[in-house]
Amino acid sequence: MKNFFNGLKNYFAEFGTAVAKGDIWTRMSLLILGMGYFGRGQIIKGILVTLVEVAVILFTAMFSAPYLAKLGTLGTVQREEVFDPLTMTKTVNDYDNSLLILLFSVVGLLVLFAFLLIYISNIKRVYEIQKLKENGKHIESFAEEVKALFNERFHITLLTLPSLGVIVFTVVPLLFMICVAFTNYDANHQPPTYLFTWVGLQNFRNLFTNNMTVSFGYAFIRILIWTLIWAVLATFTTYIGGILLAKFINNEHTKGKKVWRALFVITIAIPQFVTLLLINKMFSDNGIINGLANQWGLVSWLKDAGIIASGANGIPFLSQPGWAHVMIVIINIWIGVPYQMLIATGILMNIPNDQLESAKIDGATEFQIFWKITMPYMLFITGPSLITSIVSNINNFNVIYLLTNGYTTPNPTLANSQAKEIDLLVTWLFTLTNDYSNFKMASVIGICVFIVCAAITLIGFTNLIKGDREEDFQ
Amino acid sequence: MKKKVLSAMLVAAMTASVLAGCGNQGGGDASDNSNNSTPNTQTPAQTGDDTQTGGDDANAGAADPIANLIAATEGPVSLDLWCSETAAYQEVMAKIVDNFKAAYPDVEFNITIGAQSEAEAKDRVLEDVTAAADVYVFADDQLVELVNAGALQPVQATYTYNPSEVNAAGAVDASTVNGQLYAYPLTASNGYFLYYDSNIFTEEDVQTWDGIIAKANEAGVQCGIEATSGWYLYSWFAGAGCSLTLNEDGTNTCDWNSDAGVAVAEALAKMYADPAFINLTDVDYSAQLTEGDTKVRAYVDGTWRSGDIEKVFGDGYAATKLPTFTVNGEQVQQRSYAGYKLVGVNAYSENVGWSMLLAEFISNEESQLAIFEATGEGPANTNAAASDAVAASPAISALLAQAPYADLQRVGGKYWDPAATLGKNLAEGTITDFKAAMDEAVAGINAPTE
Amino acid sequence: MKKPVRIVLRHVVLFLLAVFWLIPVIWLVATSFSAHKGMATNSFFPTNWSIDNYAQLFARPDTVCNFPAWFKNSMIIGVACCIISTIFVLMVAYAMSCMRFKARKPLMSFAIILGMFPGVLSMIAVYFVLREIGLTDSMFGLILIYSAGSGMGYLICKGFFDTIPISLRESARLEGASEFTIFTRIVIPLSKPIIVYTVINSFLSPWMDFVMARLMIKSKNPADWTVAIGLFNMLQKTLVSEYFSVFCAGGVIVAIPISILFVIMQKFYVEGITGGAVKG
Repeated sequence: MKNFFNGLKNYFAEFGTAVAKGDIWTRMSLLILGMGYFGRGQIIKGILVTLVEVAVILFTAMFSAPYLAKLGTLGTVQREEVFDPLTMTKTVNDYDNSLLILLFSVVGLLVLFAFLLIYISNIKRVYEIQKLKENGKHIESFAEEVKALFNERFHITLLTLPSLGVIVFTVVPLLFMICVAFTNYDANHQPPTYLFTWVGLQNFRNLFTNNMTVSFGYAFIRILIWTLIWAVLATFTTYIGGILLAKFINNEHTKGKKVWRALFVITIAIPQFVTLLLINKMFSDNGIINGLANQWGLVSWLKDAGIIASGANGIPFLSQPGWAHVMIVIINIWIGVPYQMLIATGILMNIPNDQLESAKIDGATEFQIFWKITMPYMLFITGPSLITSIVSNINNFNVIYLLTNGYTTPNPTLANSQAKEIDLLVTWLFTLTNDYSNFKMASVIGICVFIVCAAITLIGFTNLIKGDREEDFQ
Repeated sequence: MKKKVLSAMLVAAMTASVLAGCGNQGGGDASDNSNNSTPNTQTPAQTGDDTQTGGDDANAGAADPIANLIAATEGPVSLDLWCSETAAYQEVMAKIVDNFKAAYPDVEFNITIGAQSEAEAKDRVLEDVTAAADVYVFADDQLVELVNAGALQPVQATYTYNPSEVNAAGAVDASTVNGQLYAYPLTASNGYFLYYDSNIFTEEDVQTWDGIIAKANEAGVQCGIEATSGWYLYSWFAGAGCSLTLNEDGTNTCDWNSDAGVAVAEALAKMYADPAFINLTDVDYSAQLTEGDTKVRAYVDGTWRSGDIEKVFGDGYAATKLPTFTVNGEQVQQRSYAGYKLVGVNAYSENVGWSMLLAEFISNEESQLAIFEATGEGPANTNAAASDAVAASPAISALLAQAPYADLQRVGGKYWDPAATLGKNLAEGTITDFKAAMDEAVAGINAPTE
Repeated sequence: MKKPVRIVLRHVVLFLLAVFWLIPVIWLVATSFSAHKGMATNSFFPTNWSIDNYAQLFARPDTVCNFPAWFKNSMIIGVACCIISTIFVLMVAYAMSCMRFKARKPLMSFAIILGMFPGVLSMIAVYFVLREIGLTDSMFGLILIYSAGSGMGYLICKGFFDTIPISLRESARLEGASEFTIFTRIVIPLSKPIIVYTVINSFLSPWMDFVMARLMIKSKNPADWTVAIGLFNMLQKTLVSEYFSVFCAGGVIVAIPISILFVIMQKFYVEGITGGAVKG
């Protein structure tokens, strides 16, 4: 944290120095970005930088300014239309679209922010060149600068396009949705017909209120707890299962290792949504498994034993809480273990053999070897990826959504918030946006998911990765 | 936006006046053609007095709006149409669209038919109204939400026939919000009634659920209705006189936690406690039917399942209105939701005029009959419904018999989840305190939309 | 004497596990050959066998099912995505692993933070961004969405690059090679396993995704869909009784090329992921 603020301080201090000590060319760059380069004979670079400035000014003035002007209210003119029955055409007023105002304001502000960064670093650069010139050192020609983009400044070349992609399709949408958490964008305020506007922290307050009609707080706590249990269970069951399976197959006594491995790998090859939908149908109340269980008398036996409700259609594999929770974890093992098995196979092959040999000579049992040597080695290597997979399991949309298609909760309080016992925060969020257009609450939940993930990552990384071992490995 | 529309209108007005000067030949032909295919041509039913478009109409001079429109149309007209994803629907719609093109031979159309389940039309349309189809078919329960979101072009004028006059009153009501017609009735098929196997159940048996359940136990078969859906659950409570209505702000007013409502819940739980009376979803039932056999020989479903059921029940195939059931020792007639499929015009369509004409064409008498022949779904048009072919269908007769006990579906979005949960708990017999369960459900149903 | 029993037992356990894992797969394949179009609820294997489902997939495109078009669309998207994504991932990984610059650490932290927001949340906003660019309903738009953010998935690849001995790069640099030359001539040729891993993963992701695709492809004309949207659509309430076994056949067809890819590339795939996971 301290480093961060120091860095920030230096950043602006350097800028201050450049302005204070800059000569006429450097100071003229404050207005026209390219001037500093023109003054030192770097004509092409000067033109390019000035063009960027012109482009940003044009973009802001022509495109984003009208939206930014309305950012405070998110628009005031509602859509009105008049239909003329005689010409069968209609006239529409020049209405505001809150959604586009917010979206383009985000874009406009990002562009301005990026320009600010370019602006500051440009002044610094110009000042550097000024000093080079004063000291009589060589100033790079344009051709040399281009060449540097493939050598010491190669990272700029490498990162520009990927970063641009991330900014346009990840950062902009995220900022937009974070903003939505502070508005009243829901089914009653849907653009383009209606406007939405800022409501401050109201939605966050709603999340934690609890009464008969607004049960979001109740549902949120339930779902959060299940999300965490799920993330931990899903991660560790597949992790350990994968290692055990890999050990089992790779044992010296196993014949036909490749064939066994291929059998498990086949399940990876079928697209996940196909297998998940298929399993959902297999285990549905009137699916094939229940059909067979009925024929074998299993269902009536379970009913007699009082394990399932007498009114149930079959074994409620995916339709009752408890049953569904267990099934989801088991099915996730089914999906995840082959993957982990592949990874573990690769890592197990790399275990230093001498350690294993000496342990065997010492008379350790296989079980001891597994817990004392294999597991610590695996954990050492895959520790960080375990944390990432916990985070990705928190956001594991597909498994839950596809498996529990058609689940009805027996808990009326959850139903009142459009939630289900087996929902993760992300699937609840999806239901709220997709079926109920409740974007504001979905965004609030999304922010909570982020906070949970951030906390887990922070705790995990500080405990698991001590220091930066990056260089040691190279 | 504004500029675009204005300039389009200007162009329209200019071309119209030019053509009017040239004797209005092309326009005349086309409107004649349209007259042939749809004899009910009339001038707009309701003229918008407040519409001020700058006196372009006076210049155009032609009083026939369709001729105006044809004259104003330049180049091909691109329209998107969404209707049910089933093969039967897609095929018959393609034919109807061909007829539509033939009715206006002077205009070049580019009509794409998209497959979109009308049950989910609202969700898909509201994702982005501006990208949704110009004309789409949807189930009538979505009307209020679509209107509230401004996704439907009000039917302020009609051109080839007047939907309010030729369709059944219920269907027109189902398309109307606050006295304004918002959609064109297409079918009167989305209600439900009782299918039964007459080889097992007599006509007397199917008058009451008690009779059906008793006979089913006797014959070793089953009967049932889906419980985990608010759509069907409504029928029991409404039958006993409980009410569920939609308020202006999109919330519900529901009184199912009254004594009558609690009594219904208890009666329903008692029925589901009988192994012969089961909770079965329509999808699962159809899976059994397509496999060729089922133990469930009396089931509440809609016209869309008639074909499958007829195949399995064979000569025993029969249908009738919903039975009565026992609440507090009295027989109560089970009510139902009357469901309709409606054709709507997207308020954000760029070709409102042609979209309205297409919507009218799809929903006119001839088209409704064609749809009935292809899909077995009963027409909303009274003439079409009176035709021999329609009257001969047992499913549609049953639907008509149920009609006096069917209500218009006007429910806010907060109803469905709590109702499904209530139904599930009733069917599985997990409720012990019925009053508390009903209070909880009603709290959820009546919850504010915030 | 004890040993042989244990070895037999070991294979029996493996066999049981394999059966457990293959039951859904067997059901998928069996159902795809069923003459009955809906879902079977009474017998595991179909009572009547037929290859009609496959014939329907390939030869009789209708308004619900247009498998050849879906397959073509998914193939185009998959190939384009895997080219762009692989290039992006390699570029970012090289910059983060082999180069040192001021913004490196902040950028890496930033990527981790971004990854913690649920993607489902921003989907609707992604849609509007794409719409304003005018690319909804197009293959190109989907390619853009799937590959634009791919640079964020650089971690495993960076882990792999970290294991390449630094001395290799040092000596090349002493001989006057530029970073560009080192990247293309030294690091890439050594990275076959991780490239295979990245290619497979980025090829697969468009085949698996339907949520995003369904939102981005507004067209209701089956010819414009991807395999995932199309197959998902077949399980709609009104269609499932007519198309369930066709859905299964579609699943089998999609799985075949991927299985082959996996079995052939398995060795590299494992090497790639383990090489990368060493550093995660």
